[in-house]
Amino acid sequence: MSKLGVIKDILQVLRHIVRQVFSRPFTYFYPFEDREYPERTRGRHIHIRENCTACGQCVRACPVVAIRIDKSDRKYEKDAALYFDYSRCIFCGLCVDACRFDALYHTPVVDLSEGSRDELKYDPERIETIEREPLEWRGRRFR
Amino acid sequence: MSPDIGDEAVEIWFGPQHVSAHGWAAKLTVVGDYIVECDPHAGYFHRSAEKVLEFRTFKQGGLVLERMCMLEAFLAEYPYISAVEQIAGMEIPERAKVLRTIMMEASRIHSLQFWWGQLSAELGLFAMTLWPWVDREFFLDTFEELTGSRHAASFSTPGGIRYDFTDKVRQKLLRAIGRLESNLPKFKDMLLRSPTFKMRTKDVGLFNAEDGIKWGLSGPNIKSCGIPMDLRKDWPDPNLAYDLADWEVPVYENPEHPGQSDAYDRMVQRFMEIETSVSIIKQLLDQIPDGPIVDPKARAKANRLPAGEAYGRVEGTRGITTVWLKTQDKAQTPWRAKIRGPCFASYYSLKHMVPGSTFADFVVVFGSLDPYPGWWDR
Repeated sequence: MSKLGVIKDILQVLRHIVRQVFSRPFTYFYPFEDREYPERTRGRHIHIRENCTACGQCVRACPVVAIRIDKSDRKYEKDAALYFDYSRCIFCGLCVDACRFDALYHTPVVDLSEGSRDELKYDPERIETIEREPLEWRGRRFR
Repeated sequence: MSPDIGDEAVEIWFGPQHVSAHGWAAKLTVVGDYIVECDPHAGYFHRSAEKVLEFRTFKQGGLVLERMCMLEAFLAEYPYISAVEQIAGMEIPERAKVLRTIMMEASRIHSLQFWWGQLSAELGLFAMTLWPWVDREFFLDTFEELTGSRHAASFSTPGGIRYDFTDKVRQKLLRAIGRLESNLPKFKDMLLRSPTFKMRTKDVGLFNAEDGIKWGLSGPNIKSCGIPMDLRKDWPDPNLAYDLADWEVPVYENPEHPGQSDAYDRMVQRFMEIETSVSIIKQLLDQIPDGPIVDPKARAKANRLPAGEAYGRVEGTRGITTVWLKTQDKAQTPWRAKIRGPCFASYYSLKHMVPGSTFADFVVVFGSLDPYPGWWDR
């Protein structure tokens, strides 16, 4: 390798370094801002009780037995209560695919960490509501 | 340790706690700085996947396969899905065939970019680790836009695919490919011309083509000896659309030692694989037909399968990946599923490839074969 080649390589690296120093960072200032999530993001579920017919197809489709159904717990005419265990869920989306009555959807809420395992077991009231909106993209990054 | 090795030999365990050894361990017998014996051990990563498959329905089975190797999720799940489709006699729509092929090739590129970064990290060239991984993020963004998940995509389903292409997915895929195309020649030049890289990889882990075939190597490892062995051409799958694109099997044969392959040749070979995949994707993106993405009767057909057996196969990033599936009549789950991962052969070929090299070269030989523990421990 000639000396000229070495100098060329060094210049190439320096060019990259200078460009990186003056460009905006790829990381996010997480608790205050979040990235944009695509429409199909498979985050935690939301259960719409009005549409549910208690057919149990979501329970049958689940490969890891993360969903439990209680057919005696009724709010509307023929619905059922769902219990989700997020310590088991692998977010494959088969339950949402199996639902033919538009009663089960994914939401873009993906940060589900909790202090203990028991808090990851969502009861019917919690799975029917989203306690907070997903963090919004604020358009600028902190430095 | 063999009894004829002298007293000065020392046995060293490489792994399972070593940074480069995540989920595997090899027992090395060392004399001075040279390795005289290598004894690879499997079993640290065992999840009894074949047994798990017997308790999962045919729609759920792809999820298990996909977790064999998360880096090539689109490719890894395909053999099982293909076997189910063959037994159920499903008709795959043309659109699903083309989209599957495109995403499988994108998955191959993403996997190779990860491997390339990891091998560079093992050699101590960290610039070449982080730069390709920035480009890889754009492919992960595409997967997320398409399926909603970055790694565990679960894209294929018996009878077709689960998620359709949108304009945004297409845009993101084109952006990822554009970035890769502009950066690849630069990175390739910087890495392959680097004297450090050449010193560490030339004539390291050298093997003959005959030995490679005897050990059961496949994919880029055997192609780098100059043997054009590729399932995409040799045994084309009717449910994939490789025949729509015009491409040649990438084969690299080093003129310095024809019929043999060292770590450097395998690196060049994998760069050629990336270039081939890019060309296939670019050709197929112009030929996506309109229509449905899944067989309308697939939902009913996949619930209960007739008795039969089938052999699903795909040319994975690391080599030939197959699943043999046997079902009983009106069964909801497989009677038996046998997985053939590509990396078991490459992992155990270390036994013959490593002796004679120095201890520091062991990681290079291992990394150059692109092994993934999930494929040999099932």
